[in-house]
Amino acid sequence: MLRYLASRLMQGAVVILLVSIGTFSMMHFIPGDPVDLMVGEAQVTQEQLDMIRRKWGLDRPVHEQYLAWASNMARGDFGQSVIRTGVPVRTMIGEAAVVTAKLNLLAFFISIAIALPMGIAAAVRRYSGFDYAIMVSSTLGLALPNFWIGLMLIVLFSLLLGWLPPFGLPSWKGYIMPVAVIVANQTALLARMMRASTIEGMGEDYVRTARAKGLVERVVVSRHVVRNALLPVVTVIGYRISFLLSGTIVIENVFALPGLGQLFIESVNRVDYQVVQAIVLLLSVLVVLGNLITDMFYGYIDPRIRIG
Amino acid sequence: MSQPATVIPAPYRRSEFTRAWRRFRRYRPGLFGLCFILALVVMAAIPDLLSPHSHTQIFRGMRGAPPSWSHPLGFDHIGRDMLSRTIWGSRVALIVGLLATGISVAVGVTIGAASGYLGGRADATLSRLVDTLMAFPVLVLLITLSAVLGPSLVTVVVIIGVTGWAQYARVVRAEVLSLREREFSLAARAAGAGDARIIFRHILPNVMGPVIVLASLGIGGIIILESALSFLGLGVQPPTASWGGMLSDGRGFILIYPQIAIAPGVMISLTVLAFNLMGDGLRDALDPRQHDASLDR
Amino acid sequence: MSRERDLDQVLRELSPSTRREFLKRAAAMGITAAAAQAMIIKNPTIVTAGPSAKRGGTIRILSHQEVASLSPDDIGPTMQWNMITQIHNALVEVNDNFVIERVLASNYLASKDGLLYTFTLRQGVKFHDGSDFTAADVKYTFEYHMNPDNATIQGVLFKAVDKVETPDKYTVVVKMKEPNAAFLRQAATVFIVPARYHGRIGEKAYKAAPIGTGPFKLKEWRPAEFTVVEAFDQHFRGRPNADFFRQDVVPDPSVRAIALRTGTSDSSAWPLLSEDNLRFEAEPGYTVFRTSSLAVNHFPLNNDHPILSDKRVRQAMMHAIDRQRMIDDVFRGTAVIAHSIFPPALQYWYEKGVKQYPYSPDRARALLEEAGWRMGPGGVRVKDGTRLSFTCAVITGDRARRPQAEIAQQDLAGVGIEMRIVERPVATILSQLPKGELDASLFNWTYNAGGGEPDPSATLRVGAARNFSRFKNQRVEELLPAGLREVDPAKRKKIYSEVQKIVAEEVPFLHIMYWDWFIIFGRRIKGLPTSTQSGSTLIRDAYKWWIE
Repeated sequence: MLRYLASRLMQGAVVILLVSIGTFSMMHFIPGDPVDLMVGEAQVTQEQLDMIRRKWGLDRPVHEQYLAWASNMARGDFGQSVIRTGVPVRTMIGEAAVVTAKLNLLAFFISIAIALPMGIAAAVRRYSGFDYAIMVSSTLGLALPNFWIGLMLIVLFSLLLGWLPPFGLPSWKGYIMPVAVIVANQTALLARMMRASTIEGMGEDYVRTARAKGLVERVVVSRHVVRNALLPVVTVIGYRISFLLSGTIVIENVFALPGLGQLFIESVNRVDYQVVQAIVLLLSVLVVLGNLITDMFYGYIDPRIRIG
Repeated sequence: MSQPATVIPAPYRRSEFTRAWRRFRRYRPGLFGLCFILALVVMAAIPDLLSPHSHTQIFRGMRGAPPSWSHPLGFDHIGRDMLSRTIWGSRVALIVGLLATGISVAVGVTIGAASGYLGGRADATLSRLVDTLMAFPVLVLLITLSAVLGPSLVTVVVIIGVTGWAQYARVVRAEVLSLREREFSLAARAAGAGDARIIFRHILPNVMGPVIVLASLGIGGIIILESALSFLGLGVQPPTASWGGMLSDGRGFILIYPQIAIAPGVMISLTVLAFNLMGDGLRDALDPRQHDASLDR
Repeated sequence: MSRERDLDQVLRELSPSTRREFLKRAAAMGITAAAAQAMIIKNPTIVTAGPSAKRGGTIRILSHQEVASLSPDDIGPTMQWNMITQIHNALVEVNDNFVIERVLASNYLASKDGLLYTFTLRQGVKFHDGSDFTAADVKYTFEYHMNPDNATIQGVLFKAVDKVETPDKYTVVVKMKEPNAAFLRQAATVFIVPARYHGRIGEKAYKAAPIGTGPFKLKEWRPAEFTVVEAFDQHFRGRPNADFFRQDVVPDPSVRAIALRTGTSDSSAWPLLSEDNLRFEAEPGYTVFRTSSLAVNHFPLNNDHPILSDKRVRQAMMHAIDRQRMIDDVFRGTAVIAHSIFPPALQYWYEKGVKQYPYSPDRARALLEEAGWRMGPGGVRVKDGTRLSFTCAVITGDRARRPQAEIAQQDLAGVGIEMRIVERPVATILSQLPKGELDASLFNWTYNAGGGEPDPSATLRVGAARNFSRFKNQRVEELLPAGLREVDPAKRKKIYSEVQKIVAEEVPFLHIMYWDWFIIFGRRIKGLPTSTQSGSTLIRDAYKWWIE
């Protein structure tokens, strides 16, 4: 077991290293750097731009820049953004990640609370009107682009009704619309999944046995089916752990939320290497850990899966 | 060469298809999905015959003009006929959806089959790759790649295709793992069949059911991904009409000219809905074990 | 003129709100607004709380992008400048009518030869930490920019400066190596930082924790979210009326419009969609300032490109593009056609007699024929086997300008030119264009030095960092340095007229239009000026506003 853990961690380290090299070289394939943006329309000479580049180490060869970055990173120094020059990247990411994580966790718990009962009920009454309604509305939840839902909500609740702030997070009210959009999407996903795995579970032998024993259907479902049906759902959640920090890029854009997604896309467009690299690195660490934990958890729950 | 006993004779295959079709038909929404997609294919095949105007012609002074008899969906933000653009947009949606899915399926099935069949080291490495790719936020990857390569139709298809194969690989690997040990494979092996023959002749046909289901569900996701990319300015380039791009254009005018965003928004939603419903129907028909593999992300 | 002196007297006694009344009456009397404005500026009274002004409250404005730094060296992006200018002051500042105002300097003297500037500083000015503002702070700030090791962005403005001396605590003498006509409007308007504080914590830390003499001091800064500054009680012009001034980051223009409409915000510092701008303008209760932008909306073209290097091709494109239609169709008429690289708003320097390019596809075709481009297959012209085709890189996600590119694409196709459109990140475009690695692009850029200073050296000289079109013209190379050395405005005007004429003839880039710049204020905000010629400096005077 320990050996397995060690080898998995080693593999994870290799993955992270590869991802970081990949990101670094991709970012440097993008022509241009943030200095031009930082300077804006100020009156500058080429000589001066070169001087500024030198100050930020952007004139050094790419591999040197990578090594400098990686060794800083290993020491826990995330470096310095060339756009937001007075703020360490670590602070930038920290601030943004809190916003994104809050949104996602809130949405996540609400979705679970709605989706699981919905999915089970739909599975139990398969092919009923209720099932159709759940399936169609959940399919719709996946089919509607979330920025579209977001805009419609803004029109309705901010413009027409004037109930909610149209942007930002001035108070708890600011969370309502973005969270609602994520919930719509997540609920759809989880409900479908729960329905599917419940249906699968209901076909299993031990369920038939339980039924044959004369147990009430409600008890059969709650005791035998649901418990096993949750397993794949949990797995998926584990695998998606990195989405907690990246799943809302588009939503953050619509509602002008200063989250990690917004920071990421802006930094890509500004070719702000340090920030992009740090975010991707953070995500890949999450991915590796999330996978590892899920696999271990899965192996623990379901001994049919061999570990190693 | 002896014919392995497990190969399904042709007549039986047809009745398998008939039975699947009957099962599929039972799920009404799936039938609706199929019909809608057929209509869409026609639209994408002959947009020039169906659309009343040119999709690139700019009508002077008609920015955001509301629907009229000759322009039933109104005009976009620079004065182009929305109906024509919506019809032409189906082409990009289908091209991106189908081609990208095609690439994903091809890569995914190959890698999944290899991984499951070979086992050992190769399997471990490939599985790790699949796990990582699946857990890695696709949009992050797409945004970075698109910034590097410069957005275009080709880039969008290729990067979505190349990054989206992991789920197919995972499903195929799992199927192969279980099928490899099943009686018919063992029988085939005993009968002297080689690896390739076993994979292509015996295992893959059995895997195709779940893959088709997964793919039909995946297309919807890809169409949304394309629209998200366009929304972020990283999609198909003008003057090509794409629903995602139109929606992105319309987004800025949602309060003044809602029709610009409504038509493509409705089309994306309906198309994705149709593919998903058809996928659900197909799953009922082809994959009776009801594992909703599309959700293993 | 006796009548003028009378008005002078009257003006001095008027409060801001009655001054507006006065201006209206002056207009009725047949005095042009500009003349009346000039009179007010001639007598800079320290205006804060008029009798009707109310204290308290938070003024909220909207930005379209983040405030990445609060250091005076990072004033490039307008939205950053909005906040930095609340916190800092300069010796002199250029007001929204391009007039130089004395701020931290109570007086200044320029020697005739342009080699010596003497600033007398205002006394009793405090920094936010309570320390006194003295000549040492000015000397420190100027010398910080002059030191090449610091690699500051504004360092270039001090290139002509030889020495900064402080004969006493409230006098600063700047000695120049050579005359520089832009000195007052550029270097002297650099914001002053407190020597001791900045020296102690360094530029990097200062970006997040600035201390100035401005009317507001920093309260909270969340770069991507909002920036709040708080009234500084000891500000030398008096405490601002509002308690807080806050700028929120809202990228989406339609969302900004909603915020303005619902009263969540008081102003959008960055324009909305043309339709929204016009709607607010028509609605009573909103104060709307409509000025002409200083930046030209243009397609930079690579003048070294094998096809685009031919002047006739560039001129043909000017004729081929229906600019009025672009203005009407994309901007609802809220722009004016650009004829020169200087905007009409730069009244004194603007040259009307430049070559113009009316919309005429026929002339475009004739020019292309003359240049040897014959109609080829697919409606694209061909010469020696080369197709008349190039690629225009628009900024990723630029929803305001991409429609323009699409219209130009159609117009150019009409005369046999193929323009492909691709999207590229803005950082890529800005750095690739001057190197000649892109064919063309589309964005707005200021081809003068801002603040009423005309010098376009940073954009038109060979090898300049911002020469996006790789323009090279021998005559312009001679004229521009001469223009900077010349301190007599009338002689300078001739130089820049010639520059404008040359550029209009050569069309290194397709100059399309000057946007009307809208700044909209909601119902609550009072104390705004009656008119302005430049919207960008309007926000600076937030300390004069009050909330009702």
